[in-house]
Amino acid sequence: MHVTAGPWAAAVYLTVVVILAVFADILSPRDPLAIDPNNILASPSAENLLGTDELGRDLLARIIHGGRVSLEVAVSAIVLASAIGIPLGIGIAFSGRRVETFAMRVIDVFVSLPEIFVAIVILGFAGGGLTTLIGTIGILFFPQFARVAYGMARSIRAREHVLCAVSLGAGTAWIIRKEILPNMMSVIAVQASFTLSFAMLMEAGLSFLGLGVPPPTPSWGQMIGGLKNYIFINAWPVVVPSVVLFAAVLSVNVLGDWLQDRLNPELRR
Amino acid sequence: MLGYLGRRFAAAAITLALACAAVFASIHLLPGDPVAMLLGEQAGADPEVVQKMRGQLGLDRPLIEQFISWIGGLATGDLGRSLRTGEPVFADVMVRLPRSLELIGGGLSIAMLLGIPLGVVAARGRGRVAGTAASVAAIAGFSAPVFVSGIILVIVFSLWLDILPSSGFVEFAEDPTMHLACLALPATAIGINFMGVVARMTRASLSDTMTKEYVRLARAKGLSRDAAILKHALPNALVPVIAVIGIRAGNLLGGTVIVEALFDWPGLSSMLVSAVFARDYPVIQGALVAIFAVFVLIGLAIDTCQGIVDPRTRESAA
Repeated sequence: MHVTAGPWAAAVYLTVVVILAVFADILSPRDPLAIDPNNILASPSAENLLGTDELGRDLLARIIHGGRVSLEVAVSAIVLASAIGIPLGIGIAFSGRRVETFAMRVIDVFVSLPEIFVAIVILGFAGGGLTTLIGTIGILFFPQFARVAYGMARSIRAREHVLCAVSLGAGTAWIIRKEILPNMMSVIAVQASFTLSFAMLMEAGLSFLGLGVPPPTPSWGQMIGGLKNYIFINAWPVVVPSVVLFAAVLSVNVLGDWLQDRLNPELRR
Repeated sequence: MLGYLGRRFAAAAITLALACAAVFASIHLLPGDPVAMLLGEQAGADPEVVQKMRGQLGLDRPLIEQFISWIGGLATGDLGRSLRTGEPVFADVMVRLPRSLELIGGGLSIAMLLGIPLGVVAARGRGRVAGTAASVAAIAGFSAPVFVSGIILVIVFSLWLDILPSSGFVEFAEDPTMHLACLALPATAIGINFMGVVARMTRASLSDTMTKEYVRLARAKGLSRDAAILKHALPNALVPVIAVIGIRAGNLLGGTVIVEALFDWPGLSSMLVSAVFARDYPVIQGALVAIFAVFVLIGLAIDTCQGIVDPRTRESAA
C-alpha cells in the first residue's frame, strides 16, 4: 500500500489533535479559564508555551480544550446527519416513482441552500450551545447524505448480484441490509470525510460570529473571533488558533482525498 | 434557448416564493416569542405591556393574515421598519445589497483568475513538481477557513506592508481609490477560498478532457501540447467548472457572512447578523429574503451562462 507524505502527516496531526482533545483534562498544562491580567496577549514564553489571550489565559490550554468542542460538534453533527440522511436516501430509492421525483427535488433545494444563513437564524433564536449547535449542523447536512445514499442505492439495486438475490426470493429488508448497505459504505465514508471538514468550518464560523458555544468554554473559531480585534497589539495570539484550525481542516480534506483514491478510484475527481 | 430560459426563470421564481414562505414561517414558528425577547425579562413579564406591543407590531392578528400582508408588502417593496432604528428595512436592503454583490463579484473574479490557471498547471504537470505544488495550493485554499485567510491577509498587507486598510468601508462616490482599497482584502479572502474549489474542479475536468480523441487529433496535426490544451481541451473542460461554481454559489454567499464581520463591511450579511443579535425580526426577514433572492439570481445567471456555452444542457434540463 503506497501512502505519500501528505496523508501520513495529516493522519499523525489528527491523531495528536484527537488524543489531546479526548484527554484534555489530563494533558492540558494549565487551566484554560485561569485569567492573568498582568500577562495578556503575550507571545510564547517558558511559562506559556504558545502565549496568552486577551485575558491572559494560556493559549496552549485553550487550544487543547477548544479542540474538544470543535471535534465533538463536528463529529456528532456528522453522525446525526448520516443517521437521518442514509435511511432517508435508501427509503426514497425504494419508494414509488412519484415520491422519488418529488422528494429528490426537495432534497436538491435543501442541498443548494446557503446553510450558514439558516444556521445563523436558528442559533440566533434558539441560542448557542453544544446541543443546539450539533442539532443545527446535523440537520443542515443530512440532505447531502440522503442524496448520496439515494444515488448509491439506486445504482446498486440495478446490479446483477442484487437482481439475482431478488430472483431467489430475497425481501427488500434483506436486500437493503445485505446488499445495499455494505456496498455503499465506501462512498458514504468519503462523503462523511468531506462533510466533516465542512462541519468543522461551519462550527468555527458560527463560533467566530459569537453564535457557537458560549464563553468562557473555548472553541477554535470562538478564540479567533475574540483575538482578531487585537491583531495590531500583538498578531501572534490570533495566528495560533487560526493555524491549528486550518491544519485540522486541511488534514481531514487530505485524508478524504486519499480515501477517495483508495476506495473509489473510478470516481476520481 | 428561450424555452430553456423560461423554465429556469419559472423554477427560480418558485424557489424564491418557497424561500419567502420558509423565512416567514421560521421566524414565526421557531421557539422563542419575538415580543418577549424584544422586551427583555422584566417588561416581558408584564402581560399588559406584551399585549400592547403585540398590537403595535400586528402580531395579534391571525398568522395567515400577517403572512398575506407581509407578502403584499414584499411585492410593493415594503419590508416593514426596523424595531431598533425605525428605518424602513427595504431602503437599508437596497443600500447594502450592491456592497455584498461587489464582494461576491470581486471574490468570484479573483477565484477564476487564480483558480483556472492553477487547475491547468495542476492537470498539465501531473506527477511533476509544478503540478503537485499547484494541487497542494488548491487543497490549501479550499481548506483555509475564510477568516483564517482573511486574518493572514490583514497581517501581511495591513500590519507588515501597511499598504491596505485592515477594515472599514468608504462609499465609492466619496473616494473611489479608498473604496477599492477597502474592498481589496475582503474580496481576496473570499476569492482564495473559492479559488481552491475552481482549481480542483478545473484540474479534474481538464485531466479527463485531455484524454479525449479530439485533443489527440489536435496533437497529431502538429499542435504543441500546450496549444492543444489551451485551444481544444480547456474550453470544453470549463463547462463542468461553471456548473460547479453554480452549485457552490451558496458557499460564495456564505463566505460573505464571515468576511463582512471580519472586515466591518456593511453588507447584507452583517445586517442579518446584527439583527439576529438584536432580535430585530423585520430586519432579519428582509435581509434573509434579499440574501435568498441573490442566491437564486446567481443560480439563474450560472444556468444562463451554461445554456449559452453548452447547448446540450438546454435539452437535458427539463
